[in-house]
Amino acid sequence: MSEPIILGDETPESLWQMLDSQGWGDGLPIVAPTAARVDAALRLDSGDPDEVIAVLEPRAGLATRREIAINAVMAGCPPEVLPVVIAAVRALGSAEINLRGVNATTHPVAPLLIVHGPAASELGFNSGLGAFGPGNRANATVGRAVRFVLLHVAGAVPGPGDVSTQGQPSKYTYCVAENVSESPWPAYHRTMGLGVESAVTVHCGENPHNFHDMESNEPTGILDKAATVMATLGTNNAPISQGEFFIGLCPEHASTIAARGWTRDDVSSYLFQRARRSLSEVRAAFDLLAWDEWMMALREDDLVPVTGSAKNIKVFVVGGPGKHSCVIPSWGMTKSVTVAIEGSSTEETRS
Amino acid sequence: MTTEILRPDGETGAAPVQLAAPLASLAGVTIGLLDNTKPNAGVLLDRLGATLAARTGARLGRRETKNAAVAASDQVLESMTEEVRVVLTGSAD
Repeated sequence: MSEPIILGDETPESLWQMLDSQGWGDGLPIVAPTAARVDAALRLDSGDPDEVIAVLEPRAGLATRREIAINAVMAGCPPEVLPVVIAAVRALGSAEINLRGVNATTHPVAPLLIVHGPAASELGFNSGLGAFGPGNRANATVGRAVRFVLLHVAGAVPGPGDVSTQGQPSKYTYCVAENVSESPWPAYHRTMGLGVESAVTVHCGENPHNFHDMESNEPTGILDKAATVMATLGTNNAPISQGEFFIGLCPEHASTIAARGWTRDDVSSYLFQRARRSLSEVRAAFDLLAWDEWMMALREDDLVPVTGSAKNIKVFVVGGPGKHSCVIPSWGMTKSVTVAIEGSSTEETRS
Repeated sequence: MTTEILRPDGETGAAPVQLAAPLASLAGVTIGLLDNTKPNAGVLLDRLGATLAARTGARLGRRETKNAAVAASDQVLESMTEEVRVVLTGSAD
Protein backbone atom coordinates (compact mmCIF):
# COMPACT_ATOMS: atom_id res chain seq x y z
CA MET A 1 0.00 0.00 0.00
CA SER A 2 1.29 3.48 -0.90
CA GLU A 3 2.49 5.89 1.77
CA PRO A 4 -0.23 8.33 2.90
CA ILE A 5 0.07 12.07 2.36
CA ILE A 6 0.26 14.21 5.49
CA LEU A 7 -1.74 17.44 5.44
CA GLY A 8 -1.59 20.18 8.06
CA ASP A 9 -5.39 20.12 8.30
CA GLU A 10 -8.50 19.10 6.43
CA THR A 11 -9.67 22.54 5.35
CA PRO A 12 -10.86 23.08 1.76
CA GLU A 13 -7.76 25.19 1.16
CA SER A 14 -5.41 22.37 2.21
CA LEU A 15 -7.30 19.86 0.10
CA TRP A 16 -7.20 22.16 -2.94
CA GLN A 17 -3.46 22.58 -2.51
CA MET A 18 -2.98 18.81 -2.26
CA LEU A 19 -5.10 18.17 -5.40
CA ASP A 20 -3.22 20.84 -7.33
CA SER A 21 0.20 19.54 -6.34
CA GLN A 22 -0.68 15.93 -7.21
CA GLY A 23 -2.71 16.60 -10.36
CA TRP A 24 -5.73 14.80 -8.89
CA GLY A 25 -9.46 15.46 -8.86
CA ASP A 26 -12.02 16.82 -11.31
CA GLY A 27 -11.91 20.50 -10.39
CA LEU A 28 -14.68 20.25 -7.78
CA PRO A 29 -14.31 19.98 -4.00
CA ILE A 30 -13.62 16.53 -2.56
CA VAL A 31 -14.03 14.65 0.69
CA ALA A 32 -10.65 13.86 2.29
CA PRO A 33 -9.98 10.12 1.89
CA THR A 34 -8.79 9.45 5.42
CA ALA A 35 -8.13 5.92 6.63
CA ALA A 36 -11.18 6.11 8.90
CA ARG A 37 -13.54 6.98 6.06
CA VAL A 38 -12.05 4.40 3.70
CA ASP A 39 -12.20 1.73 6.39
CA ALA A 40 -15.85 2.57 7.01
CA ALA A 41 -16.60 1.85 3.35
CA LEU A 42 -14.50 -1.32 3.30
CA ARG A 43 -16.17 -2.65 6.46
CA LEU A 44 -19.35 -3.12 4.39
CA ASP A 45 -17.40 -5.07 1.75
CA SER A 46 -16.59 -8.70 2.43
CA GLY A 47 -13.70 -8.95 -0.02
CA ASP A 48 -9.94 -8.63 0.53
CA PRO A 49 -9.05 -4.91 0.30
CA ASP A 50 -5.92 -5.80 -1.68
CA GLU A 51 -7.78 -7.87 -4.27
CA VAL A 52 -7.24 -6.44 -7.74
CA ILE A 53 -10.67 -5.98 -9.31
CA ALA A 54 -9.33 -4.74 -12.64
CA VAL A 55 -6.15 -3.56 -14.34
CA LEU A 56 -7.06 -0.27 -15.95
CA GLU A 57 -5.46 1.15 -19.10
CA PRO A 58 -3.65 3.21 -20.22
CA ARG A 59 -1.71 3.40 -16.92
CA ALA A 60 -2.13 -0.31 -16.16
CA GLY A 61 -3.30 0.86 -12.74
CA LEU A 62 -4.26 -1.80 -10.23
CA ALA A 63 -7.81 -1.11 -9.10
CA THR A 64 -7.92 -2.86 -5.75
CA ARG A 65 -10.96 -2.74 -3.51
CA ARG A 66 -9.04 -0.29 -1.31
CA GLU A 67 -8.13 2.06 -4.16
CA ILE A 68 -11.71 1.99 -5.39
CA ALA A 69 -12.90 2.80 -1.87
CA ILE A 70 -10.43 5.71 -1.60
CA ASN A 71 -11.79 7.19 -4.82
CA ALA A 72 -15.37 6.58 -3.71
CA VAL A 73 -14.74 8.49 -0.48
CA MET A 74 -13.11 11.34 -2.41
CA ALA A 75 -16.17 11.51 -4.67
CA GLY A 76 -18.51 11.79 -1.69
CA CYS A 77 -20.05 8.31 -1.87
CA PRO A 78 -21.92 6.99 1.16
CA PRO A 79 -20.20 3.74 2.28
CA GLU A 80 -23.05 1.45 1.27
CA VAL A 81 -22.76 2.19 -2.48
CA LEU A 82 -19.21 0.80 -2.72
CA PRO A 83 -20.38 -2.55 -4.23
CA VAL A 84 -21.91 -0.63 -7.15
CA VAL A 85 -18.65 1.22 -7.79
CA ILE A 86 -16.70 -2.04 -7.56
CA ALA A 87 -19.07 -3.73 -10.02
CA ALA A 88 -18.68 -0.85 -12.48
CA VAL A 89 -14.89 -0.99 -12.22
CA ARG A 90 -15.00 -4.75 -12.78
CA ALA A 91 -16.99 -4.11 -15.95
CA LEU A 92 -14.51 -1.45 -17.11
CA GLY A 93 -11.73 -4.03 -16.91
CA SER A 94 -13.52 -6.33 -19.37
CA ALA A 95 -11.84 -6.75 -22.74
CA GLU A 96 -15.11 -5.86 -24.53
CA ILE A 97 -15.01 -2.34 -23.12
CA ASN A 98 -11.61 -1.62 -24.76
CA LEU A 99 -10.75 0.84 -21.99
CA ARG A 100 -7.43 1.91 -23.48
CA GLY A 101 -9.31 3.15 -26.51
CA VAL A 102 -12.15 4.63 -24.48
CA ASN A 103 -9.74 6.67 -22.39
CA ALA A 104 -7.26 7.59 -25.09
CA THR A 105 -9.57 8.59 -27.96
CA THR A 106 -10.26 12.10 -29.22
CA HIS A 107 -14.00 11.23 -29.03
CA PRO A 108 -15.80 12.57 -25.91
CA VAL A 109 -16.89 9.09 -24.71
CA ALA A 110 -17.69 8.50 -21.04
CA PRO A 111 -18.87 5.32 -19.30
CA LEU A 112 -22.60 5.45 -18.52
CA LEU A 113 -23.58 3.36 -15.49
CA ILE A 114 -27.11 1.94 -15.37
CA VAL A 115 -28.03 0.35 -12.03
CA HIS A 116 -30.61 -2.46 -12.18
CA GLY A 117 -32.66 -4.31 -9.58
CA PRO A 118 -33.62 -3.67 -5.96
CA ALA A 119 -30.15 -2.30 -5.13
CA ALA A 120 -31.12 0.80 -7.08
CA SER A 121 -33.96 1.80 -4.78
CA GLU A 122 -32.41 0.37 -1.62
CA LEU A 123 -29.27 2.47 -2.10
CA GLY A 124 -31.23 5.57 -3.07
CA PHE A 125 -30.46 5.86 -6.79
CA ASN A 126 -32.76 8.01 -8.92
CA SER A 127 -34.41 6.20 -11.83
CA GLY A 128 -37.23 8.70 -12.24
CA LEU A 129 -37.70 12.41 -12.81
CA GLY A 130 -34.41 14.08 -13.78
CA ALA A 131 -32.39 10.88 -13.42
CA PHE A 132 -29.56 12.18 -15.59
CA GLY A 133 -29.55 15.51 -13.76
CA PRO A 134 -28.45 16.86 -10.40
CA GLY A 135 -29.92 16.39 -6.95
CA ASN A 136 -29.34 12.76 -6.04
CA ARG A 137 -26.32 11.71 -4.00
CA ALA A 138 -26.07 8.08 -5.17
CA ASN A 139 -26.27 8.93 -8.89
CA ALA A 140 -23.91 11.88 -8.58
CA THR A 141 -21.24 10.33 -6.40
CA VAL A 142 -21.14 6.82 -7.88
CA GLY A 143 -20.67 8.24 -11.37
CA ARG A 144 -18.06 10.63 -10.01
CA ALA A 145 -16.27 7.81 -8.17
CA VAL A 146 -15.91 5.87 -11.40
CA ARG A 147 -14.52 8.98 -13.07
CA PHE A 148 -12.05 9.37 -10.21
CA VAL A 149 -10.93 5.76 -10.65
CA LEU A 150 -10.38 6.49 -14.33
CA LEU A 151 -8.47 9.70 -13.61
CA HIS A 152 -6.31 8.38 -10.79
CA VAL A 153 -5.93 4.63 -11.28
CA ALA A 154 -6.34 4.33 -15.05
CA GLY A 155 -4.45 7.56 -15.71
CA ALA A 156 -7.15 9.06 -17.95
CA VAL A 157 -5.98 12.58 -17.19
CA PRO A 158 -6.86 15.15 -19.87
CA GLY A 159 -3.67 15.55 -21.87
CA PRO A 160 -1.42 12.60 -21.10
CA GLY A 161 -4.14 9.95 -20.77
CA ASP A 162 -7.31 11.39 -22.32
CA VAL A 163 -7.10 13.41 -25.51
CA SER A 164 -10.82 14.01 -25.99
CA THR A 165 -11.04 17.01 -28.29
CA GLN A 166 -13.85 18.74 -26.42
CA GLY A 167 -14.66 16.39 -23.55
CA GLN A 168 -18.31 16.20 -22.50
CA PRO A 169 -20.20 16.97 -19.27
CA SER A 170 -20.76 13.27 -18.56
CA LYS A 171 -17.03 12.91 -17.94
CA TYR A 172 -17.77 14.40 -14.50
CA THR A 173 -20.42 11.85 -13.55
CA TYR A 174 -22.74 9.60 -15.57
CA CYS A 175 -24.97 7.25 -13.60
CA VAL A 176 -28.69 6.50 -13.54
CA ALA A 177 -30.90 3.66 -12.40
CA GLU A 178 -33.31 1.72 -14.59
CA ASN A 179 -36.92 2.61 -13.80
CA VAL A 180 -38.09 -0.96 -13.40
CA SER A 181 -41.20 -0.09 -11.42
CA GLU A 182 -42.59 1.88 -14.37
CA SER A 183 -41.19 -0.33 -17.12
CA PRO A 184 -43.59 -2.61 -19.00
CA TRP A 185 -40.74 -5.06 -19.61
CA PRO A 186 -38.54 -7.22 -17.36
CA ALA A 187 -35.44 -5.58 -15.86
CA TYR A 188 -32.75 -5.00 -18.45
CA HIS A 189 -30.15 -7.27 -16.84
CA ARG A 190 -32.64 -10.17 -16.84
CA THR A 191 -32.94 -9.88 -20.61
CA MET A 192 -29.13 -10.10 -20.75
CA GLY A 193 -29.34 -13.47 -19.00
CA LEU A 194 -28.11 -12.47 -15.55
CA GLY A 195 -29.88 -14.50 -12.87
CA VAL A 196 -29.15 -12.05 -10.08
CA GLU A 197 -31.30 -9.49 -8.36
CA SER A 198 -29.12 -6.44 -8.93
CA ALA A 199 -26.55 -5.53 -11.55
CA VAL A 200 -24.89 -2.62 -13.26
CA THR A 201 -24.42 -2.02 -16.98
CA VAL A 202 -21.52 0.04 -18.29
CA HIS A 203 -22.00 1.56 -21.74
CA CYS A 204 -19.23 3.80 -23.07
CA GLY A 205 -21.01 6.43 -25.06
CA GLU A 206 -21.95 10.00 -25.78
CA ASN A 207 -24.18 12.26 -23.74
CA PRO A 208 -27.91 11.50 -24.13
CA HIS A 209 -29.43 12.82 -27.38
CA ASN A 210 -32.98 13.86 -26.53
CA PHE A 211 -36.04 13.21 -28.67
CA HIS A 212 -39.57 14.25 -27.79
CA ASP A 213 -42.87 12.94 -29.02
CA MET A 214 -46.07 14.36 -27.58
CA GLU A 215 -48.36 13.41 -30.44
CA SER A 216 -48.14 9.69 -31.12
CA ASN A 217 -50.48 7.03 -29.82
CA GLU A 218 -48.65 4.36 -31.79
CA PRO A 219 -45.16 2.91 -31.27
CA THR A 220 -44.10 3.80 -34.80
CA GLY A 221 -44.59 7.54 -34.33
CA ILE A 222 -42.37 7.60 -31.26
CA LEU A 223 -39.74 5.28 -32.64
CA ASP A 224 -39.54 7.00 -36.03
CA LYS A 225 -38.33 10.08 -34.18
CA ALA A 226 -35.79 8.00 -32.26
CA ALA A 227 -34.60 6.59 -35.59
CA THR A 228 -33.90 10.06 -36.97
CA VAL A 229 -31.74 10.79 -33.92
CA MET A 230 -29.84 7.53 -34.42
CA ALA A 231 -29.31 7.95 -38.15
CA THR A 232 -26.95 10.90 -38.02
CA LEU A 233 -23.64 10.86 -39.86
CA GLY A 234 -21.99 12.60 -36.92
CA THR A 235 -21.63 9.67 -34.54
CA ASN A 236 -18.86 7.08 -34.52
CA ASN A 237 -21.49 4.39 -34.95
CA ALA A 238 -22.28 5.48 -38.52
CA PRO A 239 -19.05 3.96 -39.93
CA ILE A 240 -18.65 1.23 -37.25
CA SER A 241 -21.12 -1.65 -37.47
CA GLN A 242 -20.37 -3.14 -34.04
CA GLY A 243 -21.43 0.12 -32.34
CA GLU A 244 -24.30 0.00 -29.85
CA PHE A 245 -27.14 2.40 -29.14
CA PHE A 246 -28.84 2.59 -25.76
CA ILE A 247 -32.41 3.84 -26.04
CA GLY A 248 -33.56 5.37 -22.77
CA LEU A 249 -37.35 5.43 -23.05
CA CYS A 250 -39.36 7.51 -20.60
CA PRO A 251 -42.16 5.57 -18.87
CA GLU A 252 -44.93 7.20 -20.93
CA HIS A 253 -43.29 6.35 -24.27
CA ALA A 254 -42.56 2.82 -23.06
CA SER A 255 -46.16 2.43 -21.93
CA THR A 256 -47.54 3.59 -25.28
CA ILE A 257 -45.24 1.19 -27.12
CA ALA A 258 -45.95 -1.80 -24.87
CA ALA A 259 -49.72 -1.18 -24.94
CA ARG A 260 -49.65 -2.34 -28.57
CA GLY A 261 -47.97 -5.56 -27.53
CA TRP A 262 -44.45 -4.59 -28.52
CA THR A 263 -41.60 -6.26 -26.66
CA ARG A 264 -38.14 -4.83 -26.06
CA ASP A 265 -36.88 -6.91 -29.02
CA ASP A 266 -39.65 -5.52 -31.21
CA VAL A 267 -38.41 -2.00 -30.44
CA SER A 268 -34.83 -2.94 -31.35
CA SER A 269 -35.90 -4.66 -34.56
CA TYR A 270 -38.05 -1.73 -35.65
CA LEU A 271 -35.28 0.80 -34.99
CA PHE A 272 -32.81 -1.41 -36.85
CA GLN A 273 -35.04 -1.22 -39.91
CA ARG A 274 -35.82 2.49 -39.63
CA ALA A 275 -32.52 4.05 -38.58
CA ARG A 276 -30.86 3.97 -42.00
CA ARG A 277 -29.10 6.22 -44.52
CA SER A 278 -28.38 5.72 -48.19
CA LEU A 279 -25.19 3.79 -48.79
CA SER A 280 -23.86 6.40 -51.21
CA GLU A 281 -24.36 9.12 -48.60
CA VAL A 282 -22.42 7.19 -45.94
CA ARG A 283 -19.65 6.20 -48.35
CA ALA A 284 -19.25 9.85 -49.34
CA ALA A 285 -18.88 10.84 -45.68
CA PHE A 286 -16.18 8.39 -44.56
CA ASP A 287 -12.82 7.23 -45.90
CA LEU A 288 -12.90 4.08 -43.80
CA LEU A 289 -15.85 1.84 -42.94
CA ALA A 290 -15.50 -0.72 -40.14
CA TRP A 291 -18.55 -2.63 -41.32
CA ASP A 292 -19.70 -6.22 -41.33
CA GLU A 293 -19.15 -8.01 -44.64
CA TRP A 294 -22.83 -8.03 -45.57
CA MET A 295 -22.97 -4.24 -45.20
CA MET A 296 -19.94 -3.77 -47.42
CA ALA A 297 -21.74 -5.82 -50.10
CA LEU A 298 -24.80 -3.52 -50.23
CA ARG A 299 -25.56 -1.66 -53.47
CA GLU A 300 -25.29 2.09 -53.87
CA ASP A 301 -29.05 2.64 -53.85
CA ASP A 302 -29.60 0.49 -50.73
CA LEU A 303 -30.32 1.91 -47.34
CA VAL A 304 -27.71 0.94 -44.78
CA PRO A 305 -28.42 0.60 -41.05
CA VAL A 306 -26.44 2.63 -38.52
CA THR A 307 -25.39 -0.54 -36.73
CA GLY A 308 -24.79 -4.10 -37.87
CA SER A 309 -27.48 -5.88 -35.86
CA ALA A 310 -30.73 -5.24 -34.01
CA LYS A 311 -28.98 -6.78 -31.00
CA ASN A 312 -26.78 -3.67 -30.82
CA ILE A 313 -29.86 -1.58 -30.00
CA LYS A 314 -30.48 -1.82 -26.24
CA VAL A 315 -33.69 -0.59 -24.63
CA PHE A 316 -34.27 0.46 -21.02
CA VAL A 317 -36.73 2.69 -19.19
CA VAL A 318 -35.57 5.78 -17.30
CA GLY A 319 -37.07 9.09 -16.25
CA GLY A 320 -40.33 10.42 -14.88
CA PRO A 321 -43.54 12.02 -16.16
CA GLY A 322 -43.37 13.67 -19.57
CA LYS A 323 -42.63 12.61 -23.12
CA HIS A 324 -38.90 12.98 -23.55
CA SER A 325 -36.66 9.99 -24.26
CA CYS A 326 -33.09 9.69 -25.43
CA VAL A 327 -30.62 7.91 -27.67
CA ILE A 328 -27.11 7.24 -26.34
CA PRO A 329 -24.74 6.23 -29.15
CA SER A 330 -21.57 4.42 -28.22
CA TRP A 331 -17.99 5.36 -28.97
CA GLY A 332 -18.00 2.61 -31.58
CA MET A 333 -15.17 0.19 -30.84
CA THR A 334 -16.56 -0.89 -27.50
CA LYS A 335 -19.29 -3.19 -26.20
CA SER A 336 -21.44 -2.67 -23.14
CA VAL A 337 -20.96 -5.02 -20.19
CA THR A 338 -23.47 -5.97 -17.49
CA VAL A 339 -22.17 -7.45 -14.22
CA ALA A 340 -23.74 -8.54 -10.95
CA ILE A 341 -23.47 -6.30 -7.91
CA GLU A 342 -21.76 -8.28 -5.15
CA GLY A 343 -24.14 -9.38 -2.43
CA SER A 344 -26.95 -9.54 -4.95
CA SER A 345 -28.91 -12.76 -4.50
CA THR A 346 -29.41 -15.16 -7.34
CA GLU A 347 -32.91 -16.25 -8.27
CA GLU A 348 -32.11 -19.68 -6.95
CA THR A 349 -31.09 -18.44 -3.51
CA ARG A 350 -34.16 -16.22 -3.28
CA SER A 351 -36.66 -19.00 -3.88
CA MET B 1 -3.56 18.39 14.19
CA THR B 2 -2.46 16.75 10.94
CA THR B 3 -4.57 14.64 8.59
CA GLU B 4 -3.39 11.58 6.67
CA ILE B 5 -4.78 11.24 3.14
CA LEU B 6 -4.67 7.91 1.33
CA ARG B 7 -3.42 8.08 -2.25
CA PRO B 8 -6.13 7.47 -4.89
CA ASP B 9 -3.79 6.33 -7.67
CA GLY B 10 -2.20 3.18 -6.25
CA GLU B 11 0.28 0.86 -7.90
CA THR B 12 0.63 -0.03 -11.55
CA GLY B 13 0.79 -3.52 -12.96
CA ALA B 14 3.36 -2.87 -15.65
CA ALA B 15 6.92 -1.62 -15.45
CA PRO B 16 7.52 1.67 -17.29
CA VAL B 17 8.84 1.10 -20.79
CA GLN B 18 12.23 2.65 -21.51
CA LEU B 19 12.78 4.28 -24.87
CA ALA B 20 15.55 2.67 -26.92
CA ALA B 21 18.78 4.62 -27.29
CA PRO B 22 18.84 6.78 -30.44
CA LEU B 23 20.72 5.40 -33.45
CA ALA B 24 23.86 7.20 -34.60
CA SER B 25 22.81 6.92 -38.25
CA LEU B 26 19.78 5.79 -40.25
CA ALA B 27 21.89 4.68 -43.23
CA GLY B 28 20.94 1.13 -44.14
CA VAL B 29 18.45 0.94 -41.27
CA THR B 30 14.87 -0.15 -41.93
CA ILE B 31 12.32 2.36 -40.68
CA GLY B 32 8.90 0.88 -39.90
CA LEU B 33 5.87 2.95 -40.85
CA LEU B 34 2.97 1.82 -38.64
CA ASP B 35 -0.19 3.31 -40.14
CA ASN B 36 -3.03 3.30 -37.61
CA THR B 37 -5.48 3.93 -40.51
CA LYS B 38 -6.70 7.27 -39.20
CA PRO B 39 -7.72 9.44 -42.17
CA ASN B 40 -4.56 10.87 -43.77
CA ALA B 41 -2.21 9.11 -41.30
CA GLY B 42 -0.83 7.09 -44.20
CA VAL B 43 -0.27 10.20 -46.31
CA LEU B 44 1.75 11.79 -43.52
CA LEU B 45 3.76 8.66 -42.72
CA ASP B 46 4.54 7.86 -46.37
CA ARG B 47 5.73 11.41 -47.05
CA LEU B 48 7.83 11.43 -43.89
CA GLY B 49 9.26 7.99 -44.61
CA ALA B 50 10.15 8.87 -48.20
CA THR B 51 11.87 12.08 -47.07
CA LEU B 52 13.91 10.26 -44.42
CA ALA B 53 14.85 7.48 -46.82
CA ALA B 54 16.01 9.97 -49.44
CA ARG B 55 18.10 11.94 -46.96
CA THR B 56 19.64 9.08 -45.00
CA GLY B 57 19.65 5.98 -47.17
CA ALA B 58 17.23 4.19 -44.82
CA ARG B 59 14.91 1.47 -46.08
CA LEU B 60 11.18 1.44 -45.35
CA GLY B 61 8.86 -1.25 -43.97
CA ARG B 62 5.13 -0.63 -43.76
CA ARG B 63 2.32 -2.08 -41.65
CA GLU B 64 -1.28 -1.13 -40.88
CA THR B 65 -3.46 -1.66 -37.84
CA LYS B 66 -6.95 -2.97 -38.49
CA ASN B 67 -8.59 0.04 -36.89
CA ALA B 68 -7.31 3.19 -35.20
CA ALA B 69 -9.37 2.51 -32.10
CA VAL B 70 -7.66 -0.75 -31.20
CA ALA B 71 -4.01 -1.49 -30.52
CA ALA B 72 -1.80 -3.12 -33.16
CA SER B 73 -2.05 -6.91 -33.03
CA ASP B 74 0.74 -9.06 -31.63
CA GLN B 75 1.27 -10.38 -35.15
CA VAL B 76 1.91 -6.90 -36.52
CA LEU B 77 4.21 -6.00 -33.65
CA GLU B 78 6.19 -9.23 -33.92
CA SER B 79 6.71 -8.89 -37.66
CA MET B 80 7.87 -5.29 -37.19
CA THR B 81 10.23 -6.33 -34.43
CA GLU B 82 11.87 -8.78 -36.81
CA GLU B 83 12.19 -6.36 -39.71
CA VAL B 84 12.74 -2.81 -38.48
CA ARG B 85 14.95 -0.88 -36.06
CA VAL B 86 12.93 2.37 -35.85
CA VAL B 87 9.15 2.89 -35.89
CA LEU B 88 7.20 5.97 -36.89
CA THR B 89 3.59 5.96 -35.70
CA GLY B 90 1.13 7.73 -33.42
CA SER B 91 -0.84 9.88 -35.86
CA ALA B 92 -4.16 11.11 -34.48
CA ASP B 93 -6.87 13.14 -36.22
